Amino acid sequence: MAPTTRGMRARAAASGDRIPPDALFEALLCLPARDVCRLRCVCRSWRDLICDPVFAAAHADAHRGDPPLFLAKFLDDKTSVYVVDLSGAVVKRVAGAGGGPYQQLLPTRLDVACVAGDRNSCDVLNPATGALQSLPRNTAPDENAHLVSLVTSTFFTLGRVAATGEHKVLRMFSSIGLRSGSSRQVFEVITVSSTSGGEGHGAQQWRRLQGPGLFIEECSGTVVDGVVYFMTSSLYDGLGCGIRPDYIVSFDLGREEWGRDIRGPISSGAGGFMPRFNRNRLALAELSGYLVLAEQDRRPFTLDLWYLVDSAGRGMTGVWVKQYRIRTRWLVVRLPDDEDHLKPLLVLDDGKLVVYADGRMFICDPKTNSFKPVHMKRLDSVAVYTGNLLSLE
Amino acid sequence: MASAGSGDEKAAAAAMITLISSDNEKFEVTEATATLSQTIRHMIEDGCTDGGVPLPNVTSKILARVIEYCKKHATAAAGEEGSSSSFSDAAFLEVDRAFLEELEEFDDAFLEVDRATLFDLILAANYLDIKGLLNLTCQKVADSVKGKTPEQIREMYNIVNDLTPEEEAEIRRETQWAFE
Repeated sequence: MAPTTRGMRARAAASGDRIPPDALFEALLCLPARDVCRLRCVCRSWRDLICDPVFAAAHADAHRGDPPLFLAKFLDDKTSVYVVDLSGAVVKRVAGAGGGPYQQLLPTRLDVACVAGDRNSCDVLNPATGALQSLPRNTAPDENAHLVSLVTSTFFTLGRVAATGEHKVLRMFSSIGLRSGSSRQVFEVITVSSTSGGEGHGAQQWRRLQGPGLFIEECSGTVVDGVVYFMTSSLYDGLGCGIRPDYIVSFDLGREEWGRDIRGPISSGAGGFMPRFNRNRLALAELSGYLVLAEQDRRPFTLDLWYLVDSAGRGMTGVWVKQYRIRTRWLVVRLPDDEDHLKPLLVLDDGKLVVYADGRMFICDPKTNSFKPVHMKRLDSVAVYTGNLLSLE
Repeated sequence: MASAGSGDEKAAAAAMITLISSDNEKFEVTEATATLSQTIRHMIEDGCTDGGVPLPNVTSKILARVIEYCKKHATAAAGEEGSSSSFSDAAFLEVDRAFLEELEEFDDAFLEVDRATLFDLILAANYLDIKGLLNLTCQKVADSVKGKTPEQIREMYNIVNDLTPEEEAEIRRETQWAFE
């Protein structure tokens, strides 16, 4: 019998066609974040459900096994930050968050992005909310502030302190001169007050730090579990001063002090024989929560990935394990000579590696030494995104 | 292995569980069928299933369908265990594949229900914590809204848009990226 009155129709709808909230909750968990976001404007109850932090958390949980997401700036649009996946699809574009041609995404693996440039600009972006926070450009109040005026370039490293959940940025003013005594590196740290950008940056101030006692390689900052690691400067290359190319300096973001230096696997494992190698063959990376030293060679074409498996070991050596030796000939011969550095970004669940080189990402199978390009526009810079696009906090 | 298998079946046959629907109908099921539900599995582990398991949130109509699903999938689970431990020859794998195809057909046919029943099945699968059934039914609803505009979804599910034009405009602005 067809319902006749308005009340009967309402009851029929309530028990029939209408999705019970719990069933809707469960069903929406099956959809990708982008599809779910579109459904916020269906009606008030759908909006409230989708915007509920409980739903956002459950959705993140249900999609934990999904393919990873990356943050990208593309060469043809340097003003936006994109969230992309390994199929090359754009999941989200955050217009206006990319700074400009002179800013790049820092190679982080976090739920926020950092877009920084060497002219003292650094923005922290929450890709989920779109909130963008520019860090103050002024320097820490310090009697040595005049040192900063000598410098030419700024370098930034963003990391998360696990104990507090805070994000901190380490800033380096660097001026490396050819004349002895003309080089300076000045370090400051700041706590990013809130990535949702409520507080503004009135409360934030850079805090001046002591230096590490060695010049560090400017772009090498790599964060593992709240500790920033740096390679030492290529100034030391060939000086015979005993600072080996794989010597690593560390800074603890939580305690805000320089930590123990670490000897790399190559010089410490070499015994009396010092292989001839210099810093431009070496790079730091963070993979699966480990500090990794990537050593790239052309004779033969290889990429060795050394994992620091026990940094707390006795002495300065730490325990390094060569986890991968990848034969890179296929890829390297296809790259321009000055863009042939392979940067490992991420280890996938199936053991394959995502590698960045010359504006592209490649999926590398270390078992077969094969490289499969990820098809997307040419990249300016890239980072790994671990956040939840539904989270509005 | 055949004798051990039938022994297991006997043991399972001995352990029957009574499920009681909200309208007080009783269903006798094997423990193997019932324990596809994590909720019931925990009750069995806690030893509180004597005298039947009351399920005040599930009607007899829905419970009958849920049991139908669990019976089929419990057999499938038992079959998988058997195949991985004792068989590896191609002929058996062939049988296995045929069985999986049959299971898929079963699932497809199982989902041929009206919308109200589908929603009730989701709620029951959620309450009883039957992962496979929850995924199956939720995916059906998710597929029905995927790629649709908010207007189409409102029409399909009989939803009144109670957002003010200003609210809707604001949401559209915030979620513009998802429509690009």
